[in-house]
Amino acid sequence: MIKFHPSPEQLTAFAEGTLSPVESLMVSAHCDMCSRCETRVADEVERAALEFDEPATSSHTEDQIYKSMFASITQVPADEATYLSPKAAPSAIELDGRKFELPRTLRRYASSMGNWSGLVGRLWQAPVDLGEAGVAHFIYMGRGGSVPEHTHRGCEYTLVLSGEFCDGLNTYDSGDFIYMNGEHTHAPHSDDTEGCLVFSIVDQPLHFTSGIARLLNPFSHLFFR
Amino acid sequence: MLVGIPLDQSNNTVKPKECASEMSAYIVEVAETRCKRSFAKVFNYFAPRLRSYALKQMGNEALAMELVQDTMSNVWQKAHLFNAEKGSPSTWIFTIARNIRFDMLRKLQNRKEDVCSDDLWPILCEQTADANEASLDQQVTLEQIGYMFESLPVKQKAVIEAIYIDGKSQQEVADELTIPLGTVKSRTRLALQRLKGMLHDND
Repeated sequence: MIKFHPSPEQLTAFAEGTLSPVESLMVSAHCDMCSRCETRVADEVERAALEFDEPATSSHTEDQIYKSMFASITQVPADEATYLSPKAAPSAIELDGRKFELPRTLRRYASSMGNWSGLVGRLWQAPVDLGEAGVAHFIYMGRGGSVPEHTHRGCEYTLVLSGEFCDGLNTYDSGDFIYMNGEHTHAPHSDDTEGCLVFSIVDQPLHFTSGIARLLNPFSHLFFR
Repeated sequence: MLVGIPLDQSNNTVKPKECASEMSAYIVEVAETRCKRSFAKVFNYFAPRLRSYALKQMGNEALAMELVQDTMSNVWQKAHLFNAEKGSPSTWIFTIARNIRFDMLRKLQNRKEDVCSDDLWPILCEQTADANEASLDQQVTLEQIGYMFESLPVKQKAVIEAIYIDGKSQQEVADELTIPLGTVKSRTRLALQRLKGMLHDND
């Protein structure tokens, strides 16, 4: 069962289109998996659209602009391209012979993601380039897999796509939306027999806090960023 | 230019609910017959409202009008995608405007993120992005780091181990090894340079 959701403020801002692109991506993917939040967002969109029920007036100058705008818009024929049937994009990703269905928002990354690479401790990751917003990762923790204990210099958003994992603070299930920042130190690991697949975005390199993983700190931007 | 198509404001006084079904009918008419008169009704009702929304959001008259134009263009060209069962015309047009605003802002801020409104709210898109094979290099494993670490000169290794694994300060390391602080600093720097070099060779 999904226990961790975006905040009401995040859902409202997402509906209004004012949330940052990275947060929007995570909230959107969460809504694909969570009907509760999906419904709330739909309600918020309807509420926001009520603004259009208010009367609006326009000046003479604006009317002139509208006239030429109307003329130029209606000169263009209907968009024929939209009649084409959508190109079938892969909706799942594969790792080690296993297939994982992706939520709609993340499907486009199924074809643009980088290769899987093995990290320590039954941990696999594949990067997704988000341009200047940073790099997101699909991270797969096999049974007993773990990420070394770390804290965050920036924010970390994680969405559980399949299976479950715990991090010493909580246990997270498929669909859970997890937000971590500098106040949180955690060491995710999965005991799920099926392993656990998550999608994660970090806006600053992680800071590893224990053991040999500390060696990673000068280079952590190469790993999780 | 607009002969025979009056641009009146009479729709402003219509009650929201009646207005919604009336507007729905016009949009369907636009989709089916490309009727400019029906589109004029929709346009006259929504353009000023869109402008007032856009002005609040963008705070700039020119950008606001751009948003109005792009939104109404989409209504004209993609009227067939409107589905009255899924929501009111206001809601549909609001979502179109919201998406365009989202993408306009990204463009204005020169942020070339790979997150666009169509991914988040696919209300008008039926096209999928091309599958471009993005290959990210710079993939290193903990094992490789461990291996590289082992290959460091003994003196550098001792410093790195004390600082990054045991978490000691550079001063503590200097005291412990009875070497000057400057030497600890230069060994650390050299070791990190060497590791960086190995990481690049690894590509």
